[in-house]
Amino acid sequence: MKTKLVLSVIVLLFIVVPATLAQDVVTIKFWHTYNEVSPENQTLTDTLIPMFEAAHPNIKVESVPYPYDGFRQALLTAAAGGEGADVVRLDIIWSPEFAAQGILMNLSEKMSDFQQYADAVFPGPLSTNAYDGAYYGLPLDTNTRVLVYNPAVMPEPPKTIDELAAMCADLPEGSFLFSDGGTYGWAILPWIWSFGGDVTDPEIAMATGYVNGEKTVAAVQFIADMVKDGCFSDGFIGSGLDTWGGYFGGTIYSMLEGPWFYPTQESQYPDFKVGAALMPAGEGGPVSVVGGENIVVSASSAHPDEAMEFVRFTQSEEYQLEMSKVGQLTVLSSLLKNEYFVNHPYYGIFLEQLQTAKARTPHPAYTQIETVLGDAAQLVLRGEMSAQEAMDAAAEEIDALLAGS
Amino acid sequence: MGTNTTIAAARRQRTPSRDRAKPYYRWYVPYVFLIPGLVLYLLWTVYPLFYQLYISFFDWKIIPGQESTFVGFANYQTAFADKTFWLAMSNTVTYAIITVIGQMIAGFAVAVLVNRVLVGRRFFRTVYYLPVVTSWVVVSFLFIYLFSPGNSGLINYILTQIGVIKEPISWMANSSTAWVAIYSLGIWKGLGWSMVIFLAALQGIPAELYEAAAIDGTNEWQRLLHITMPLIRRTILFVFVALMIGGFQVFLSVLLITGGGPLHRTEVALTYMFDRSFGQLKFGYGAALSYILAVVIVVVSVTQTRLFGRRGQDVEY
Repeated sequence: MKTKLVLSVIVLLFIVVPATLAQDVVTIKFWHTYNEVSPENQTLTDTLIPMFEAAHPNIKVESVPYPYDGFRQALLTAAAGGEGADVVRLDIIWSPEFAAQGILMNLSEKMSDFQQYADAVFPGPLSTNAYDGAYYGLPLDTNTRVLVYNPAVMPEPPKTIDELAAMCADLPEGSFLFSDGGTYGWAILPWIWSFGGDVTDPEIAMATGYVNGEKTVAAVQFIADMVKDGCFSDGFIGSGLDTWGGYFGGTIYSMLEGPWFYPTQESQYPDFKVGAALMPAGEGGPVSVVGGENIVVSASSAHPDEAMEFVRFTQSEEYQLEMSKVGQLTVLSSLLKNEYFVNHPYYGIFLEQLQTAKARTPHPAYTQIETVLGDAAQLVLRGEMSAQEAMDAAAEEIDALLAGS
Repeated sequence: MGTNTTIAAARRQRTPSRDRAKPYYRWYVPYVFLIPGLVLYLLWTVYPLFYQLYISFFDWKIIPGQESTFVGFANYQTAFADKTFWLAMSNTVTYAIITVIGQMIAGFAVAVLVNRVLVGRRFFRTVYYLPVVTSWVVVSFLFIYLFSPGNSGLINYILTQIGVIKEPISWMANSSTAWVAIYSLGIWKGLGWSMVIFLAALQGIPAELYEAAAIDGTNEWQRLLHITMPLIRRTILFVFVALMIGGFQVFLSVLLITGGGPLHRTEVALTYMFDRSFGQLKFGYGAALSYILAVVIVVVSVTQTRLFGRRGQDVEY
């Protein structure tokens, strides 16, 4: 009789205890594009998520890494199915579009302490979360591109675009002064802005007079001439040239790169001497492009409270500092006074470049605007259309996109 | 009591058991077995087929809570005026013609050769068939590496070494050279399939026919043209129609190798449909495009079968 009682108690314990424990634990899915071959993803899964789970025993975080290509499609189709992520690390250029689609949770409304977090971050990255008078996320990391050059073949970096162009005369056969992967915004906007041009007016209402303005046209013409003369690589017209391979091989003298370049370089080419300088200046100054990611909560998340708790964690100094160590530059202004940043070997140049860097048009139709701009520049680089003609046509199309048709 | 009674008893016993077997032949039995497959087919093929037709008449929104508006034939009208779509369609047709002819000639040639191999026939058959069962993603990346620009690409390296070209080619920078990579992948990956079918047909031809023809003093070429070809005529037709349908559905290789670029010039029907649907979220338009493609495929297949499939011309043996 006694043994029976003990047995049933044990059985009950086995059934009831795990069940009650399981009831409280909530799993949230975190979709992101942290690079799996660089140390970012490892920091997330080995350090940060365990840190969060230890502090929040009732929340489990499932990390779901995606490649950047196709991530936008994956997010949109998952949203259509009403499934997918609770928390997403989203490229800043997609935030307005996703907010307009109604996929993102309005954090300025749903998160009671939102303002406290908004005040702690840089205003530029924060602004990429704004849509229609509300905020649909918080910035997670920021970055920009600086001129990464090879001191072995380019002893002094060019300070101006003219200096860069002058170096072309001494370029040996088979080498390129500069290379990039195409005519998408991330690649050609630094040149357009540094020339003093732009895509739209500051109010983002009008492209005519800007994208087909004198300075933008001159910038596109400059890249086209440099590619034609063999000074810039034909990676610009989509040859698929491996820019990093050429850089480390000594045939590509310089390129624009973000801070994630360093961890990869240190692990794969530890002995390579890297030089970094500001984007060469033109009439508009040394202007580069702001990149980065926001942290957002899916509007259809079944666990919004737990998801927002994870968002709060990403805004902590621990998270931001750990990620900064693997190339994800922090968005917390207070952290810059931390000795880690004061003594950092390469973040200085990126922080300096960020002073003048600009953000790509924060508009729900950005993806389409970028296609129009890139295709127009592509026609010019291939010599199939004059720069003015191509940019005039682009202005008309972008005006239509801005008008919402 | 004798043998007769035993047999009679056995008969008596056997007859009812035969009657009892009858219920198993009731009319509905085959349908019961067909239902699972039929349900899956209706649910996963027929229903989406009609649902997509429905979508194609809307400005379709995929996000829950957003309203889709009925637009009638507007998507079809846009498609007929869309130059990029018609470029994509003509690219698709060109791709189908070039790769189908390529696969059939190469597949037939390899089949004839493999058929003559006395030792290791199975080895060659497997080797040539291997690309067919390999994932499109894997072989597409393989071809991206083969056709890399500069001297690091294997194709460029070989061509410059043997002196065919002086400067390495940036294959993906121009549509004309990008097609070389896409076509050669299509032919290389598919030739094993037509080879296996042709090989089976070749092995079905009685050897006596060739022996008799050889005694009559024919040469190899005459035997190929007048014996082999007519006898495998139906196989050639089958391979042709099947490959054409496959050719029209080219997608992954183009998406991965060029992504339709540069400037949409290597776009094919399905990559363009994919871009409009998942890139620009115009799902109604994408649905209309795929219906136009489906109509074209049906017309082409029916025409092919009509043209080449006339009965009465078959040689009996």
